[in-house]
Amino acid sequence: MESFLGLTICSDISMFERTKNIKLSVIKQIELEASKYPDAVSLAQGIPDFDTPDFIKRRVERALKRGVVAKYSLSPGLPELRELIEESLEKEGMYYDWEKEILVTAGSIEGITATIMAITSPGDEVIIPEPTYTSYREVINLAGCKPVFVPLDEEKGWGFDIERYREAVTEKTKAIFYCNPNNPTGTIYTKKQLMDLARLAEDNNLFLISDEVYKDFIYDEKEFFSLASIPELRKRVIRIFSFSKAFAMTGWRVGYLHSDEENVREITKVHDSLVTCAPVISQYAAMGALEIEKEKMKKFFEDYKKRRDVMCSRLENLSHVFDFVRPDSAYYVFPRISSRVAEVVGKDLIKGDLVDSWGFAFRLLEKAQIATVPGTAFGPNGEGHIRMSFGRRREDIEESFDRMENIFKT
Amino acid sequence: MKCFAKFLLKHYLRVITKLTLLVHRPVVIAVAGSTNKNFAKKEIKRRLEEEGLTVRANPKNFNTEIGLPLAILHLPSGYNEYKAWLPAIFTSPLRIFQRNFPRFLVLGLGTSDEGDMSYLLSIVKPHISVVTDITQRYKEGFSDMNNLVDEYRLLADRTRNNGVLLLNADNYRVKRIGDNRKKKVVYYGFNKKADPCIVGAQKNEKGQRAKIRHREKEENFQINRFGRHHLYAFLIGVAVKEEVKSL
Repeated sequence: MESFLGLTICSDISMFERTKNIKLSVIKQIELEASKYPDAVSLAQGIPDFDTPDFIKRRVERALKRGVVAKYSLSPGLPELRELIEESLEKEGMYYDWEKEILVTAGSIEGITATIMAITSPGDEVIIPEPTYTSYREVINLAGCKPVFVPLDEEKGWGFDIERYREAVTEKTKAIFYCNPNNPTGTIYTKKQLMDLARLAEDNNLFLISDEVYKDFIYDEKEFFSLASIPELRKRVIRIFSFSKAFAMTGWRVGYLHSDEENVREITKVHDSLVTCAPVISQYAAMGALEIEKEKMKKFFEDYKKRRDVMCSRLENLSHVFDFVRPDSAYYVFPRISSRVAEVVGKDLIKGDLVDSWGFAFRLLEKAQIATVPGTAFGPNGEGHIRMSFGRRREDIEESFDRMENIFKT
Repeated sequence: MKCFAKFLLKHYLRVITKLTLLVHRPVVIAVAGSTNKNFAKKEIKRRLEEEGLTVRANPKNFNTEIGLPLAILHLPSGYNEYKAWLPAIFTSPLRIFQRNFPRFLVLGLGTSDEGDMSYLLSIVKPHISVVTDITQRYKEGFSDMNNLVDEYRLLADRTRNNGVLLLNADNYRVKRIGDNRKKKVVYYGFNKKADPCIVGAQKNEKGQRAKIRHREKEENFQINRFGRHHLYAFLIGVAVKEEVKSL
């Protein structure tokens, strides 16, 4: 207890029961630390360096001029947007009713939060393959549930081992929540892996939450499969998508989810109480994004592929420092840090076979002013790795690797 | 400058399109309404193609003053880039005498401001006009709901006298458009008086099982899509297929 102007101020953490174990994103902490270094180059945040395409901006300008953005939309979103979403899903072989089965959300994270809150009760368990996106576990904790981590297998290119999931299922398990393609590993799960997961979910009456925000970033013509395209699984699968990454719209905060109407009806109740509706101006931006011809976005994705190739080739030059699996998707590489770097970054960071990723990321920032994300942020199995984003400008990628080559000279 | 260029382009494309339509004389099926235009268009196209007919439908947002002519002429949009418009400008006259021009045009007509429909109908004169629905969507461009409905009334007025109006019997505003018309009016929907009419529908894993009554016959169909709007689109397809026979 503290006293201020005669008033007693209570700073007892127990007053924040729900939030006391929630952590602020490690990525934001790294960015904050990096901001102290004037010459820092950031490979940390997963933000595309492109600006939102002009076509989308013009769509928004038109909506502003017409005066249609100032009011709330219906809670599930503008009907015209949901209709466009249904059409775009249809092109991907997924059939959902825009009136009852599609919900426009304030970015994917709001969709994830609303979903977890709707389908779980406190004390339930949610299985997450890891390493994966940092915020999942915080949302699960926020809902009073327990995240159960199941490690992905680095030897198998960060793929699933279904037996590990089977072992993780208990009576309390409510859902399996995965990111496909996966952040930070860039893995695309195979159809067989996903079908095995679906069978496991069927056998144990579990929901499957599929976060597919990187599904447009697929390189080398790899195949992408979504369980949401199987009609028999529509009551079980909740698929989440965001416009942030694919259309360089991270600041607009707009995404959507879809599933069978029973699920969406319940999720909408939470969504309504959290945000009423997604920002209407951003919903018009999302309409612009869906009206863009695919060809217009092609250059955007080709550029990412080039950046991936640059980053991978520069990582190959640092093979004495990093060992990595070439990502098939998303815009991250998740290399393992070799213990041979101890001489440069300090022997105190070596923990058994692994290098303390948190310490390594901070030393890298200190010594070379390069911001990366420690692997431990993505789950226990991420320890010994760092995440590097190639969503940044090519010049930044080159500059950061020049610096690394300089400090990690053989 | 930009406005002037747009004005010139709009009228240039209108003239070329009218000449093209004059030469080829396709059957025009117009689809208008606040919702469900694209699914209805797709279903009409599918049905007609099943009959071995040649069909061209406008892509989803090619339903306005510039988009509609481009769709009819089968040209790409230059969007906001001056240079990108050059191919459309220079090749559009060639479309007047294009070979293999389709026999049927299925055209969504968009109206978001007063007068939009009038302009579009100065380009095309439909043989069949479908009104899918009228909701509050796009109402902001109109002083009141009646003015929005008037846009669709105009479509009904300008449909050829020997043509057909296909109206949603479940939407009061749409249904009233058919009152006191001298041309043929077909009502579709769940309303018992509609023909074609949905007698019953049941959702299943793959989509919907629907019982449809049409011309005193009842038949069951599996529609592998979810949502009531697909049932309407299906009915529109059934009705259009029937009506084109008499054109």
